[in-house]
Amino acid sequence: MEARGVTCRFGDKVAVHKASVRLFPGQIHALVGENGAGKSTLLKAMAGAVVPTEGEVWIRGQRLDPATPAEAIRRGVGMVYQHFALVPSFTGMENLMLGVEPVGLLGWLRPSVTRARAEEIAAMTRLRVHLDVPAASLSVGEQQRLEILRVLVRGASLLLLDEPTAVLTPGEAQGLYELLRRIAKQGAAVAVVTHHLEDVSRYADQVTVLRGGEQVFQGAVSEVTTAELSLRALGEIPAVKRPTAVGGEAPELLVVVGLQAEGLDVKELRVRRGEMVGIAGVDGNGQEALVEALAGLRPARGSQRLGGCELAGAPPSARRAAGLEVVHGDRHRFALLAGATIHDNLVLGDLGPDEEAKVVRRMAVSGLIPADPSLQAGTLSGGNQQKLVMARALDRAPRMLVAAYPTRGIDAAAAAQIQQRLVAAAEGGAGVLLISGDWSELRTIAHRLLVMRKGRVVAELPPDVREQELGRVMLEGS
Amino acid sequence: MSEAVSRPSLPPGVRRGVWSVVVVLLLFDGLAFLAGEAPRVALLKALEGTWGTMYGLGQVIYKATPLLLTGLGFRVALRAGLFNIGVEGQLLLGSFAAGVVASRLPSSTPWPLGVLMSLGAAGVGGAGLGAVAGAMKVKFGAHEVIVTLLLNRIVEALVPYVLRRGVGVTGYRSGDAISGALLPRLEQLSEVFRGSAASLATVLALVVCLLVLRWERSSVTGREFGWVGLGAGVCEAQGIPGGRRLWQAMALSGGRAGLGASATVLGYKGYYELGLGAGAGFGGIAVAMLGQGSAVGLVGAALLLGTLQQAGLVLNASLPREAMDVLTAAVLVAASAGRGRR
Repeated sequence: MEARGVTCRFGDKVAVHKASVRLFPGQIHALVGENGAGKSTLLKAMAGAVVPTEGEVWIRGQRLDPATPAEAIRRGVGMVYQHFALVPSFTGMENLMLGVEPVGLLGWLRPSVTRARAEEIAAMTRLRVHLDVPAASLSVGEQQRLEILRVLVRGASLLLLDEPTAVLTPGEAQGLYELLRRIAKQGAAVAVVTHHLEDVSRYADQVTVLRGGEQVFQGAVSEVTTAELSLRALGEIPAVKRPTAVGGEAPELLVVVGLQAEGLDVKELRVRRGEMVGIAGVDGNGQEALVEALAGLRPARGSQRLGGCELAGAPPSARRAAGLEVVHGDRHRFALLAGATIHDNLVLGDLGPDEEAKVVRRMAVSGLIPADPSLQAGTLSGGNQQKLVMARALDRAPRMLVAAYPTRGIDAAAAAQIQQRLVAAAEGGAGVLLISGDWSELRTIAHRLLVMRKGRVVAELPPDVREQELGRVMLEGS
Repeated sequence: MSEAVSRPSLPPGVRRGVWSVVVVLLLFDGLAFLAGEAPRVALLKALEGTWGTMYGLGQVIYKATPLLLTGLGFRVALRAGLFNIGVEGQLLLGSFAAGVVASRLPSSTPWPLGVLMSLGAAGVGGAGLGAVAGAMKVKFGAHEVIVTLLLNRIVEALVPYVLRRGVGVTGYRSGDAISGALLPRLEQLSEVFRGSAASLATVLALVVCLLVLRWERSSVTGREFGWVGLGAGVCEAQGIPGGRRLWQAMALSGGRAGLGASATVLGYKGYYELGLGAGAGFGGIAVAMLGQGSAVGLVGAALLLGTLQQAGLVLNASLPREAMDVLTAAVLVAASAGRGRR
């Protein structure tokens, strides 16, 4: 597969400028760059989902024509998008079958065929997904695994993945790359958009670096070090330091006792003023339930006190008024209106007389690319959407911030910026509860780590815990 | 022909308007031909009876007025992501309420007060019905299309019953409105509208239209309605009371539809009778779809449908009455088809 001189323009904005990428069977090709650099757009052009303004896509020596997703799929291209294309009410199995239903006599549906294939692949690749519950009840991580499984079940030989590891734990990500390696060995070509430059060095064969839509580097991974890649893709990244330690005399800000909800049973959770508490755990172990319960979006029993004020049963608006701010992991469900403008999204939920000032301020700190508030938020890349959401949340100057996966899908430079701002919030006296799948993030900036498993907090660990120990506790409990 | 009207230089709103008129003209010709009339003759006759005389124009304006109000009503719900098919029933209940209140006020009630109270009744009647559907949606998850559709039927059955049980002077109409509750006809202001049914209600509807569109753009609640329509869950999580906005949108939708009574009950008949204003609710759906949120678009769409209705009366002798209903329905279908590109 080959993209030749692909340029993608949206209005006046050039997303990708004259990029050329060749994918070879047996190789993993990584596309890296900062958020909004054009990586996703280039990938979409290769999958037929975006028609290039200039340039062509060739598959096995033939031009992709018409340049549509259907034609690309027909030619063996399998794309896993950053945003899931699952039917929420369908089970995992039904989502797998959708569009490629195996039928027997008289059009009778034969799920067993798909199931056998899915289980074979799942066993081979150690991808664990519940196939018999509705997709909506799966965690973000599981949904993504289902997406990957779906493309594999369809037998794609050209695999395009847009930030597939963003929602996976390090262990799972390693498993995925090992799987991609195995698939590549069997003759498939794989392209991966990612922010994890270490993963590139470790698992990819070829790498293309995009910056501001321009292709600034292309070559074999063996030719460059991770540090060089980082410099080319992102420039210098500032180091983030943990907020100043808080003593036992710091007043407790958030006190949660006996919090029970569907998929959640937390006996006790305390965050002091100025404290950064990290929550670690394999995805789908109650983190989302905890965040939704604290946000007032999931009915829960038990006490949730914020600075002495009982929040149990209070709606989100009352919690906001009490100084609680929640950044959800699932942007499209809870944080962003893709169909509204960036401007409207920046003030979503706090319209007021100082609207223009808020937009200007939040726009400035977010570092959005492109920096045009009249654009629809849905046109932003995932990382830029996250920057928008974070800028809005932090600008509300919360006393207590609950941030779920705040840097997921964001390039290292922007992630460092957001981490820096979380640290600044804590140093300013706010309490921060940081739920993250990024171990190094947790270990770098949290004061202490709580490990969640099956809806419970099973352990408290110091941030300098060894990675192996952290991984063991996440999987085994204590 | 499609190339002629889809030139990129035309803004989509204008294109939509041109298309609607073209579709209407073609269908009109077809229907006239089927009915055994010379299309050109029928068309000229229809044009003369609508836009050709001041009287005809007054009639068009009269018919367009409730359509504009129900269109505005439908629109507010649509922006919030709700399909309020109940505007018809909400208009009916509003008209009935206006008729009853206008006739039962003390006859000494001074002019603006009587009108305001009657209009208030119309608004509250429509809003109440809309709020029921909204509450059913928010509290129990009942789909608003089903609920409003059935509420239409319930109101259609209950109003005649209540009239017959002594609320009306006869089984099919309310008492006469007191003079303090009537909206003056335009003919009282200018000779040129002599005999036509147009009244100050049209001015009221235009003012409401401008206010509503402004409110949508610049008020907190108005903007939040639109956001809730784009994602109620996101709004809820960001502290906007999504559920409350939903039923508010339905209530407001019904209330505006109810105000359609201003043209019929208070501006023209002076009482409510069964069937008065019927069809203006469904017509309002087409107005909202065609109008696409611009004042010019909404008023233009209301005038287009008003013209069709009046043309139906003008051509009564030569074309079956239903012909114009067919045309109206065709416009509605065409307008709905463009909804995806909101």
